[in-house]
Amino acid sequence: MNTATLTAKGNGINQRFNRWILERVRQRRGSPTLPFTLEYRHIYVMPTHFGLGFGILLALTAIGGLNFNNNMVLMFGFILAAIAQMTSLLAYRNLSGLMLLGIRASAVFAGQPARFTVLLKNPEERLRFAIQLVSGTSSDCADIKQQATGRWELELMTHRRGWIDMEPFQIENRYPLGLFRAWPVIIPQARCLVYPAPVSNPPPLPKTGRGDFGATRRGEGEHLHGLREYQPGDPLGRIAWRASARHQTLYSKTMESPHEEACELNWYLMGGRNTEEKLSILSAWILRAERLQIPYSLEMPAASLPAELGEEHRNACLEILALFKP
Amino acid sequence: MATNQKATFWMIATLSVAMAPQLFRMPVPVVIMALLPLLWRIAAEIRGWKTLPALIRHGLTAIALLTLYFSHEQIGGRRAAVSLLTVMLTLKLIESYRIRDARLIVSFSLFLCATQFMFTQDILMPLYGAVTVILALVTLTHLHRNEAYIAFDKTPAISASLFSELGFSLRLLMLAIPIGLSFFLFFPRWATPLWGIPEATLDSKSGLSDSMSPGSIQNLFMDDSPAFRVKFQGIIPRSSELYWRGPVLWNFDGKTWHGNLFSVDLEPEPRPDESKAVWKYTVQLEPNERHWLFSLDYPATTPFNSRITSDFQILRRQPVTQLLQYSIASDPTFVDSPKLADNLKMAALDLPRGSNPKTRKLIERWKREGLDGPALVDRVLVYFNQEPFHYSLESPLLGSNSVDEFLFDTLTGYCEHYASAFTVMMRMADIPSRIVTGYQGGWYSGMGDYLLVRQSDAHAWSEVWFRDRGWIRVDPTAAVSPLRIARGSLGALSAPRHLFDYSWLRGLRNGVDIVQQRWNDWVIKFNAESQMRIFSSIGLEQMTPPMLVISLFVVIGLFSLLLLPFIFRVKGPSRKDPLRAVWLKFLKRLKAAGFEAIPSTGPSELAQAAARHLPQDSQAIYQVADLYSRSRYSATPPPLRELKEAIRKFHPRKKHRLR
Repeated sequence: MNTATLTAKGNGINQRFNRWILERVRQRRGSPTLPFTLEYRHIYVMPTHFGLGFGILLALTAIGGLNFNNNMVLMFGFILAAIAQMTSLLAYRNLSGLMLLGIRASAVFAGQPARFTVLLKNPEERLRFAIQLVSGTSSDCADIKQQATGRWELELMTHRRGWIDMEPFQIENRYPLGLFRAWPVIIPQARCLVYPAPVSNPPPLPKTGRGDFGATRRGEGEHLHGLREYQPGDPLGRIAWRASARHQTLYSKTMESPHEEACELNWYLMGGRNTEEKLSILSAWILRAERLQIPYSLEMPAASLPAELGEEHRNACLEILALFKP
Repeated sequence: MATNQKATFWMIATLSVAMAPQLFRMPVPVVIMALLPLLWRIAAEIRGWKTLPALIRHGLTAIALLTLYFSHEQIGGRRAAVSLLTVMLTLKLIESYRIRDARLIVSFSLFLCATQFMFTQDILMPLYGAVTVILALVTLTHLHRNEAYIAFDKTPAISASLFSELGFSLRLLMLAIPIGLSFFLFFPRWATPLWGIPEATLDSKSGLSDSMSPGSIQNLFMDDSPAFRVKFQGIIPRSSELYWRGPVLWNFDGKTWHGNLFSVDLEPEPRPDESKAVWKYTVQLEPNERHWLFSLDYPATTPFNSRITSDFQILRRQPVTQLLQYSIASDPTFVDSPKLADNLKMAALDLPRGSNPKTRKLIERWKREGLDGPALVDRVLVYFNQEPFHYSLESPLLGSNSVDEFLFDTLTGYCEHYASAFTVMMRMADIPSRIVTGYQGGWYSGMGDYLLVRQSDAHAWSEVWFRDRGWIRVDPTAAVSPLRIARGSLGALSAPRHLFDYSWLRGLRNGVDIVQQRWNDWVIKFNAESQMRIFSSIGLEQMTPPMLVISLFVVIGLFSLLLLPFIFRVKGPSRKDPLRAVWLKFLKRLKAAGFEAIPSTGPSELAQAAARHLPQDSQAIYQVADLYSRSRYSATPPPLRELKEAIRKFHPRKKHRLR
């Protein structure tokens, strides 16, 4: 099976043919505007290797039948040829009318594959079988039922931070017998954000942040937070004797420290390392701070964010790193 | 790249059906060699056995090839070639685990199926072809899904049932048949083949052979397949006149009769006069891979591509490898060779020295009694008739003095025994004689207006020669068993030939033969000539191949136009969802009244918006929306007709625009 052929390098007939088609689509149509309905003029149909071999076998059968004027052999060959020819139409029909609803991808770290989820809708009242999405390096396959929407995932390996554009891909199928391949080429306008890859052994977090950021931390500290019922194991010194005497039950004091330390991730305080290395360290620090639940602020040449925690903050910080231009 | 089990079983089924007819034509050891790998693969699939080591696989292949080599008499023959294909395919099964291999096997199974039509184009063969194609299509569909999903660890969302798979394949086949038929009718034919079938490759000869030894015709007697069919124009001869002349045998070595090379090389002199030939008929000869064409005595015309020998055998230049039709006329009153050349007379009197002494004594006794010439012929026939001879299939094998044993010992025999004994007796009496083999009788189909002659009608008789009277046919079997001639070969036997040999069944088979005959007439015989005839019948005289191709595309184009609406039909949702259909009607009414619904709004939201827009009809709108929501979502929906009724009554007044 030669699935990953679309942008494959090399000078075989297949690769050259695919490149030629890709170039044609790029010049004639460019990227589709979504939602995009597949029509007859988008869909190419060509025999597969198996289809070609089958055709040769049929031709031999027909020549034998013609030569010996054996009518049953001839008829048999003709009917098989008609079936084969019809399957090219079925392969086309299995795609025509499909709607490309959208493509999305969540951000990944460099070195991880970007996952583009492609949504295709079957607006018609018929089944569509084994529709394969094939890009240069990956492929996915699914059936779609009547009036259903299916999702396909195409992966693309990332190496550098920043935006990565989705490769051109084809919506391919060889339904029903594998004799013909029908495929439109899609040049998507979809991209995926790639964060700098975190270094595996970053230096310790710079806990240099001023203490008035972030949430309070319960349990330890000098300030009284409140009372709760005594639990075995509470230190004696914490028992609120006066309150306990009033209520005839034992109460312990719970304490709090007013504010947790925060770390300040500051571009300018990172010394003279090279840019990408610094970004990778910052990326690793952000992940670590999130894991330890320590609020962190980010100070970059073009942007700064106050100390905070959470998914949104993390993504905002990582995006700044990903798109950083020195 | 491995195939899944379902696809594997379909592949095995395809191959099994495709090779089924071939199994009956292969020698038994080859059949075993073909079945072994097949059975192994089925068992391996069920039990989960591992692949055989390469050494064993290659060993098996070698054994299979040797078996093939030693069990086929003619290793270069067509039959042997197809056996080789069959065995190689089943051997391929034991190492076919990849999709590519499976596809190869399925494609070549179809090819194997096509090769079977080279051997027989029986009326049942289309059925066999159709079953093979359907199985192959189902297998290929499975393989396609296999291939598509192979890299992904997920189950397809749609799982097709056996019924839908078969239905799909059948539909595909049905749609292909009209296209195949147009190709069949319009595709330019070759009037003469580019290459012929080399005679060396013919290894499935059937019917009469060029020699006769006791038992050779008897074997044919078990064979109910048709030998040829005859259509008479005008006079139909009586049953006792239906002697279909085939190979003529002159030389006897004590056991086997052979043809005479000399007589075959000569032209007949004189020849029957065509104007006197009263029997005019057309013969449709089934392929037997031999050279003889059959005719009634004596052929006055020579069919195309053949010649008539001095003993009135008709020899075709090429062996008959497919259904052959020829027209011929016979003159029954013709006198064959009133004068006989000396060398031929010698050949017609020659006997092995010193054999059959008892018979010789008997003949000498009759000659001493003064019998000679025609009188002696009559005496021998009377002898056959009066002595307790039996006409039977179960005749013991005879030794070196075969005629003595037959006449004085066993007294049991089939037509060949009688013909052989009679001819030998004539030669002992110095009357030139020879054996003619062929067919006698036939079954006349009133409905189809043709005579069907089966292999089981094979017969042997004698001819004796008298000066000026020429060769005269004498059938000693008729003296023993007149029924044989009157009722045909099967009518003369008292016991059935085999388990399923009933007269009503034979009658049924004869009746069914008309279908086969029509099939031959319309389909199998079709050639470049018939193609031209079709076109000249509608006034197109000179169809060149390009014109044929153009008309082919016109016909296919017309057919496709008929199908186009089905192929490009967009199935809307309304076809299956009556609720949606009425709802769409409601939206249409609203639109007519000037309210355009936003597609994304649900029924209640829409009703609110519409009511605001058309306040006069708000009540009706809310009612319809409520009915629709309940019909759609409620656990106990109201009947559909309530909603239909409400929408039918709904006629919103158009909002008057303020001027």
